[in-house]
Amino acid sequence: MAAPPGEAPLTAATNIEPFYVLHKGGAAASSSSSSAPSLPSSGRARRRIDVSGPASPNPKPGKRSRDDDAAEDDDDDELYERLRLDAFHRVWSKIQSTINEVLRGISLKLFDQVLRWVQESFSAVRSIARPSAAEVRQPYPLLTDVICRKIPTAFVLTKNAEFVDDITTFRDLAEYVESNGCHLAKLSATELSEKNGVGCCFRSLLRQLLSDVPDVADIFALASWYSAAENYDQPIVIVIDDLEQCSGDVLGELVMMLSEWVIKIPIFFVMGIATTLDAPRKLLSSEALQRLEPCKLTLGSPSDRMNALVEAILVKPCAGFCISHEVAVFLRNYFFKHDGTITSFISALKLACSKHFSVEPLSFLCMGMLEEDRENFWHDKFNALPQELRKYASGLPSCTREKDSTKSGDNMVDGLSELMNIQKDWSSVLLCLYEAGKHGKVQLLDIFCEAVNPDLHTQKAPNLPNEKSGTSRRFIDQVMDTIRYLPVETLFCLLEVWSIHLNGMDKITNKVTELQSTTISTDSVRITKDKWPRRSTNSTGNSTVALNDKVAMLLDDVTRKFLVSVECLPFHEIVCFKNALIGNPRRMVQLDLVKSHKHLKCSCCRKNGIAVSASMHDTSIMCNLAQEYGDVINLHDWYISFDGIINSVHSKIKRKPHTSPSKKKSKPVAAESEAMIQAVTELQITGLLRMPSKRRPDLVQRIAFGL
Amino acid sequence: MALRGGHAAAAAGVSSGSEDDDEEAGFSRSYFLAKEKEPSSGKKRARAAGKLSDLNLVDEQVLRASLAEIPPKHEREVEALTRSYKEQYRNWLFELRCGFGLLMYGFGSKKMLLEDFASTTLSDFTVIVVNGYLPSINLKQVIVTVAEIFWEQTKLKRKRQTATRSQLQPFASQSIDDIISFLNNQTSDNGDDNVCLLIHNIDGPALRDAESQQYLAQVSCCPQVHVVASVDHVNAPLLWDKKMVHTQFKWSWYHVPTFAPYKVEGVFYPLILASGGHAQTMKTALVVLQSLTPNAQSMHFSSLYTKCRERFLVSSQVTLNSHLTEFKDHDLVKIRKHSDGQDCLHIPLVSDALEKLLQELT
Repeated sequence: MAAPPGEAPLTAATNIEPFYVLHKGGAAASSSSSSAPSLPSSGRARRRIDVSGPASPNPKPGKRSRDDDAAEDDDDDELYERLRLDAFHRVWSKIQSTINEVLRGISLKLFDQVLRWVQESFSAVRSIARPSAAEVRQPYPLLTDVICRKIPTAFVLTKNAEFVDDITTFRDLAEYVESNGCHLAKLSATELSEKNGVGCCFRSLLRQLLSDVPDVADIFALASWYSAAENYDQPIVIVIDDLEQCSGDVLGELVMMLSEWVIKIPIFFVMGIATTLDAPRKLLSSEALQRLEPCKLTLGSPSDRMNALVEAILVKPCAGFCISHEVAVFLRNYFFKHDGTITSFISALKLACSKHFSVEPLSFLCMGMLEEDRENFWHDKFNALPQELRKYASGLPSCTREKDSTKSGDNMVDGLSELMNIQKDWSSVLLCLYEAGKHGKVQLLDIFCEAVNPDLHTQKAPNLPNEKSGTSRRFIDQVMDTIRYLPVETLFCLLEVWSIHLNGMDKITNKVTELQSTTISTDSVRITKDKWPRRSTNSTGNSTVALNDKVAMLLDDVTRKFLVSVECLPFHEIVCFKNALIGNPRRMVQLDLVKSHKHLKCSCCRKNGIAVSASMHDTSIMCNLAQEYGDVINLHDWYISFDGIINSVHSKIKRKPHTSPSKKKSKPVAAESEAMIQAVTELQITGLLRMPSKRRPDLVQRIAFGL
Repeated sequence: MALRGGHAAAAAGVSSGSEDDDEEAGFSRSYFLAKEKEPSSGKKRARAAGKLSDLNLVDEQVLRASLAEIPPKHEREVEALTRSYKEQYRNWLFELRCGFGLLMYGFGSKKMLLEDFASTTLSDFTVIVVNGYLPSINLKQVIVTVAEIFWEQTKLKRKRQTATRSQLQPFASQSIDDIISFLNNQTSDNGDDNVCLLIHNIDGPALRDAESQQYLAQVSCCPQVHVVASVDHVNAPLLWDKKMVHTQFKWSWYHVPTFAPYKVEGVFYPLILASGGHAQTMKTALVVLQSLTPNAQSMHFSSLYTKCRERFLVSSQVTLNSHLTEFKDHDLVKIRKHSDGQDCLHIPLVSDALEKLLQELT
């Protein structure tokens, strides 16, 4: 990029200095002057620089009044940007706290199990012996059987795709155990490594338990601390979150040491296992294994957690922010097919959220969803909107189709309220679908993706022989099928859950109640009760099946009526994010090079339909040529073909060859070779190429293949 | 040529199958392809394939000088493309304030783009530019500088509020972990005291090791620190695990191809088609020779064992051989079998380089 006019040219020193301070920030810079100027003034100075940029829509500062107008606009821009930033922080903190609540709620069952197990183990240990404080302090362990040298250990199977999802779980677990009156210490895999050894991890243990660590960190320090009256009546729990990453020797040593003392100092382990129960056997020596008294506990599966999360943050309108079909599908594919961790799902969602608030000028209105009096909030905000934003609001693509009202203010507020109401019905119906789908093992994220598909709404007519509807309703249809084969009791329970979800949608609740009453009144309930297994497979003309069909029909009907994707509603742009999210340098950098003209938007390349022309970027030519080779490229041939293209008859742009001051008496080095050398270096920087080895100086190696 | 083209097209067809297996498949395939082209396996083919020596090779320094003068193509379009990203500056800033790190990728040097972004849009931040493409980078110094900036800020604040001052151990003598925990304790009520690390080529050669990346990740999630970085290598994402990406760096990716030449970034890459590189060898020779023991340094290259003995430099052939092995390992001396069967030592430097070397040594 050529330096924009007015910008100080970069001196060479900034290129070869390993690092340097480009400039000091607002606070640091202003504090050097005697009177610290207020924030806005420094903001103004910044904006002046912005204005000078060619991308800025503002005209050159000419007349004073125009300049003032521009400044006012800038102030507005800044104000609304700050509003959007605040809105993001509020909305995301709401979502984040919902996420934490949901995840904690799911893990709470496990936490309770762990706590109960700790308490049981503690009383078991105390039932063997109850050493006095003085006995605990004695420098030798109690002499008891081997049985009394076993450390109760809970192995928690996490079942997650990657450890990253367990970090919060184990952090919460530790907090929970500690808040319930246990002494707690955490040991990480880095502490239990060969490099640190058992001494270091013992020291870490002491540091977490004792208020001040003695110079000699040994077991006696721990024993004398534990024998103090205030510490004596609680067990010590050590949480190791990632067992597989620990060094078996170090952990074994720790186990052997602590097991000798387990009667005096009741220490229990909680270890997280990512793979299978075999892991401790593979990791620890049999001697150390014998010193453990194992207990197996299991965490909920990732898909359970995912379903709960999707329900809480995407289906129920928790913070007023939602995602489009495209984004939803991306997130689903990323979770189910590519990544599998909840953490990356959440971080992608957060990114989507921030991008939404960054890009969408009116997104700060989302905050209204969190307010008590939404309509008032929106009214106030709308009345304060500058003309430009008002125009923008009425010009949103989603509302231009039904733009007839003159009272645009009410229009927007009404539109947003309407949107909220429709969304509420939408989520109720979606939850009904999911409740039914649970019996057929359908994931909520799958149904969600179909429910936000705007095409779903346009294909309202049932039984339309449309190819597309088949694919867009795959999971919803699966749910319908599931209902058709449900046993009556389950169906009855399902209807009950529905009536809770559909609370507030009177017409439908009535229908549900009607169905419920027929279920109860028909005698077939009793009959089918024990005959169900056979029935579900063969009979068709029977009353139970008719009931199943009725329920399915009701759901189908409701689905078609209420499952309106948010993208079909006016003003959805304000709350809904619609872009793509993730970077893929491996593919994109190659695409950049192979299709350079798409980015450069030049008129010269590709006009004759030739794949590679002389006018193209040199590196792009080289990369295109490299596509024709295998894994190794003969430099000489590559050069010749590059040369051929540069000097081809089609080419009008000729570079004048300049003589090199080479001492050799050979021909002057053509500019082409330099261009090629530069291109090869650039390919090297991008990692698409590896330099020739000493043994084969004529060949370079291609590294990345396939787009 | 045509033959090879066909062959290569087939190989490319295979490789485009699945993206993920490329690396592995690439390695195994390259082995066989390379075997096929080995000169020993078919002398004729080898002769048919072009040799580098057929081209006129130029000295590296000369080449570097002339590389800087390559007339750029599409200058206007490149400029327009880079300028088009200016519209996104406010959005980038927004995401930075939301707590994300910005990661720029795409073909072309992003140095100017990022520095333009920093100097126009990040004026509220203290910006530290890290030139990750340099092989000489010392991460600890960078982290120390960040810590010092925060330290200065707190000092200034305290001066304004109260007159108390507390002394602190200089950061340079603390461990990186301690400095990072200092950074983690920095909190501010107004969002003004933020530091932005602008890292050109966070995937640069000196930062490519796991330890550096771990430290960078830890620094990037300190409360007042923001990171804007660029990557050029297509496999850069492999530097980070999920914990680093999602909980520490929190990258927001931006595809910003600029097609600007990699002028400074390329300086430290070896050049292809440079003839041997006398200057390079000379420099390395100088380094090696200067780091040798005085005894070894004073050995004259053309001397043989007897000459060395005369000068009492070595007392036995074994010692001479051990010195020579050192030279051989560093390509300072090469051994050839002479026609009469004796080993012949020679120095693979041209006379110009040798003369210059001797001048610099004395």
